[in-house]
Amino acid sequence: MANKVIYEVRNVSKNYGAVVALDGASLKLHAGEVVGLVGDNGAGKSTLVKVLSGAHSPDSGEILLEGVTKVWHNPKQALDEGIETLYQDSGLAQHLTVSQNVFLGREKFLKGIFGKLGFLARKQMELEAEADLQAVGIAFPSSNRPVSQLSGGQRQAVAIGRAVSWARKVLILDEPTNHLGARQSGEVLEVIKRAKKKGLGVIFISHTLPHVLEVTDRIVVLRLGKIVRDAPTSEYTADTLIGTITGSYHGDEN
Amino acid sequence: MGNSIQEGQELSFLDKVKASFRNQSTLLVVTLVILAVIFQIASEGIFLSVGTLGTVLNDWGSYILLAVAQTFVVITGGIDLSVGSTVSLSSVVAGWVLVKGMGLDTSISGDAALPYVLIATLVCLLVGLAVGALNAFLINVLKIVPFIATLATMGAMAGMAIIISGGMPLQGPNDFNLGIAYNVFGVELPISSTILTVLIITVIAGLYLHKTRFGLYTYSLGSNPFATRAAGISPARHITKVYMLSGGLAGLAGAYAYIRLGAGSPSNGAGMELYAIAATVIGGVSLMGGVGRIVGVALGTLVLFTVQSGLLMVKVVEVSPSLKQVIVAILIAAAVAVQTLQKNGRK
Repeated sequence: MANKVIYEVRNVSKNYGAVVALDGASLKLHAGEVVGLVGDNGAGKSTLVKVLSGAHSPDSGEILLEGVTKVWHNPKQALDEGIETLYQDSGLAQHLTVSQNVFLGREKFLKGIFGKLGFLARKQMELEAEADLQAVGIAFPSSNRPVSQLSGGQRQAVAIGRAVSWARKVLILDEPTNHLGARQSGEVLEVIKRAKKKGLGVIFISHTLPHVLEVTDRIVVLRLGKIVRDAPTSEYTADTLIGTITGSYHGDEN
Repeated sequence: MGNSIQEGQELSFLDKVKASFRNQSTLLVVTLVILAVIFQIASEGIFLSVGTLGTVLNDWGSYILLAVAQTFVVITGGIDLSVGSTVSLSSVVAGWVLVKGMGLDTSISGDAALPYVLIATLVCLLVGLAVGALNAFLINVLKIVPFIATLATMGAMAGMAIIISGGMPLQGPNDFNLGIAYNVFGVELPISSTILTVLIITVIAGLYLHKTRFGLYTYSLGSNPFATRAAGISPARHITKVYMLSGGLAGLAGAYAYIRLGAGSPSNGAGMELYAIAATVIGGVSLMGGVGRIVGVALGTLVLFTVQSGLLMVKVVEVSPSLKQVIVAILIAAAVAVQTLQKNGRK
């Protein structure tokens, strides 16, 4: 990989009470690279995502962004540094509109005294949200519609569009193709490829292994909180990937 | 993804939901008209008078501040049971400060009482903010669920009000002229300056809920706390603001009660929290969080007190206070049932 390392975790561990969720995991992500993160249920994928996004602090280990050590106390700090995360199934407030969701936490205010008093520039945000989603490759007829009125695929599209349009360095996508049909999944994979071309480092978490094999440059396999294999995607086949996840295939390095 | 939407189908669905939103307010206005007609007949023609409307509006004024406060809290997915006790405590503290602290001559009246009224209002506001801050501390730091946290402060503040007052009402300015009725073209309107002040606060609260970032975060917190935190918003900070707003408005309602009744009594706010929550629910605010509008709540409060005042005037059958409570309870149950039906209809 010719590009520089953009995001890295070294030897991170995280326990929830007696449960060891992550056990000394290390991971490097380069700019313009898509890394697949796979593993069985309970392997520690979601925990690693939460550590990477700043939602949870690891018990031990180090986080480095562009070579600089970082300690995230909350997701906002990671967001402010250009790291965007799409969480599995829970990324949107469904009572809010599309544009309110896209701009949540980064609102624009009216000009003048009303803006100072906290009044929002609703129209401006609606137009910009529409433009942002279109730029990502997601077309929406109207961004002033509550998310609760959208279909599952449309919601996912908004959540992805939101993450992609705000990400400056790292994009973390936790099960972005979950609950999506074949055509919609294909569009999500296209969005990932475009994000990669923009030079973002992308972490793609999925149970749908054909999607992982199609879109990633490298695949990291987690089992019981440990990283058991980290290799270029070309070194996996569908069978060896499943075997590595379940523990029945031990490959050449084990 | 977006391209696959069938636009016509989406829009008709949108129209349906928009219509159902309008329905909430329309429904309440229709209810009000029907109630007015029923009470006009049942009271043998005395319900629709300036006097009655004045009573309804005065009651409305005591409760709308609490209902507005409750609206913000309930939209975040919480509840504030301590507002009634806050009304009692703040009015008692105001009475204590004025009578014991400043040696108020309780025979004072009219404009001479104005400085005292303003001081009382300020004291009540501060007491309310303090109770709100305490609720926020219990919820954010001690991680107690809002229902239990505010239940605890509800009991504690009611007790404090009795301790401070010694169980007796503390006098306020006597006969402070609140009822400055406005004359428009020779017609005396049942609107006092206090009611006008309350109305202005309600409008400002509505603008803040629907047009500002503060309101947006209130909805997003009730809709999806995880997404709100993931978007970089501090839920604890916003919860603190919302409960302090609720406490502050309850304090102002305490000032309203103190000034209007001319006494700071530990029973001033007894049971008010239930009416506030009832008005909020009747007004279309979902106890699940994320849903509700101030216009609905203002109308819901009006429905509640039209029923209250109307039942007093019914002449056909005698309505005892106990029966009145039952009727209000039925009203709440009906409002929640309508909400549930609307929600299921949308699915």
